Amino acid sequence: MKRYFAVLLGVLTAIGGFVDIGDLVTNAQAGARFGWSLVWVVVLGVLGICVFAEMSGRIAAVSHRATFDLVRERLGPRMGLLNLFGSMSVTFLTFIAEIGGVALALQLLSSVSHVLVAMFVAAAVWIVLWRAKFSSIENVLGLMGLALIVFAVALWQLGPDWSELSSQLSPAEKPAAEGWAVYAFFGVALFGAAMTPYEVFFFSSGGVEERWTSKDIGVMRANVFLGFPLGGVLSVAIAGCAAVVFLPQGITVETLGQVGLPVAVALGKIGLAVVVLGFFAATFGAACETGLSVGYSLAQYSGFQWGKYVRPREAAGFHVVLLVATVLAAGVLLTGVDPIMVTEVSVVFSALALPLTYFPILVVANDPDYLGEHRNGRLANVLGVFYLVVITIASIAAIPLMVITSMGQG
Amino acid sequence: MDGYDAALHLLDRQVVDREGQLVAKVDDVELTLEPDGSLVATGLLVGLPALLPRFGDRLGSWLLDKYVQAGEERADRALPGVIEFELVDDIGSGVELSVLRKGLVRPRTAEVPAGVERWRLGDLLGMRVRCGDLPKRSRVLDVRLAGVPHRTERPLVTGLVVGPGRPGSLFGYDRKPDLGPLAVAVVVRRLHRHVRGVDVGPGVEIDRAANEVRISPGVPLLPLL
Repeated sequence: MKRYFAVLLGVLTAIGGFVDIGDLVTNAQAGARFGWSLVWVVVLGVLGICVFAEMSGRIAAVSHRATFDLVRERLGPRMGLLNLFGSMSVTFLTFIAEIGGVALALQLLSSVSHVLVAMFVAAAVWIVLWRAKFSSIENVLGLMGLALIVFAVALWQLGPDWSELSSQLSPAEKPAAEGWAVYAFFGVALFGAAMTPYEVFFFSSGGVEERWTSKDIGVMRANVFLGFPLGGVLSVAIAGCAAVVFLPQGITVETLGQVGLPVAVALGKIGLAVVVLGFFAATFGAACETGLSVGYSLAQYSGFQWGKYVRPREAAGFHVVLLVATVLAAGVLLTGVDPIMVTEVSVVFSALALPLTYFPILVVANDPDYLGEHRNGRLANVLGVFYLVVITIASIAAIPLMVITSMGQG
Repeated sequence: MDGYDAALHLLDRQVVDREGQLVAKVDDVELTLEPDGSLVATGLLVGLPALLPRFGDRLGSWLLDKYVQAGEERADRALPGVIEFELVDDIGSGVELSVLRKGLVRPRTAEVPAGVERWRLGDLLGMRVRCGDLPKRSRVLDVRLAGVPHRTERPLVTGLVVGPGRPGSLFGYDRKPDLGPLAVAVVVRRLHRHVRGVDVGPGVEIDRAANEVRISPGVPLLPLL
């Protein structure tokens, strides 16, 4: 019974934890401009994060090594450092965006400017990272994040013409007013939002935090292969809501309020309250995950003690990194930068940075020295190599598309 | 081809103490040249003075210079910390020690016992290799150590992996014929088709002053891939 409960809890928190500020904003924007014609990218991205997370989760369970340990072991100190710099910058950017997202959610609630709220949010995030137990962070915020299911309910309540909506699923249904370059740019952004590197840093380090062993591989797989795709369904629902409400009017999404607006249209005040709770939980949870991931990657490159499974004083360096990162993120938000814009940049750079961490994981997942009998089978390798190609293409295309389309405006 | 590869299996791995606490990364490995001419791994080197030189000849020494300048009042600034090799209990996905981490790492003093020389694995990796049967741009790619972890045998350097390319770019594909995924294995093996293994012994001369390894004609070169 306890085991089933663990699986259920893991799946639920994986669903609630899957969606973060990047998914919220990018899916709503893509839905408002392209309807459901980009859903195939979300499906591709969700399957990709499943493949990537399953491999690194398996490595963490069997060998107790998390992602960045392996990056340095396989790429050496030079390439590893370059990789650390790239991945940590993207994760830090996402950290800023998530804290900003929490502040925006609270602004919706209180009408107090997010610039002011951000400081208090950052302080709260730091206290949680310092004091709260790892499993409480994951479970409480993951379960609260399930409030975002309200997007699926809202889509159903909006009562769209389902045959028309599902006919948009083909890429050929791209609205004629939009160019293919912008379409491709949003494709890369959606892919980056679904496959954010921090998700894997966090997932594999979390496996070490929770002392997984090879016995836990089954539970881990259930979390990944049920939780992430169901989280992906929420992404599609967010895009669907935006497609129904905004696309016919030609309105583009530029604020977090607009992301939640279709829910208010469909379900009224109650819906709005639930969606703001969902925003808060999803972004706060992701803020904790990204903050920890900054510390994880730096510690795993350098070798000093990390993790919430030891007392803070035994991992003092790790906690100093968390504190410094939180202060810096608050400082950036105090400049009044728009968190939505930070989000847009962070998802594109996520796509850019992915191959560097993906490749070493794929190689190690095949190595019997680490995994013994649990190394990649044929299916994992076929998918693994397929995604190596997809990720590389997305990475190469990211910056040129960003420049050509001026961040999707063109 | 028994034993293990120092760069592949030891370098950059996490060092873990007896109770699973994290200690450091293996930033470099100390090799001692004994009076009888044998080369033995004697310590794991940790800390920036061990790591920075591995960033390459020029960049590495520049970084180390800056690091020393930033703490010039300290006499031991350029000395790496050392964990004696005898304390290694097992080498797996991490390097497990037989002791606790408290007070473990001490600076490696500059004095060396008479008759021996201390080298670093990082100096050996990437050294030019001169051999008539190998491409001109060949370098030392890895160093093979005898025995298995948790051994009674000394971790003696028994062989070198040599060929064109960069140290660490073999990703272990020279070690296991069935290491997947196939597409990656094919590419790595193709790029490293000239890589060979050579036993350390007569005919193989490691010249640290000239920063090169000379292999005489007639020394057997073993194909690895």
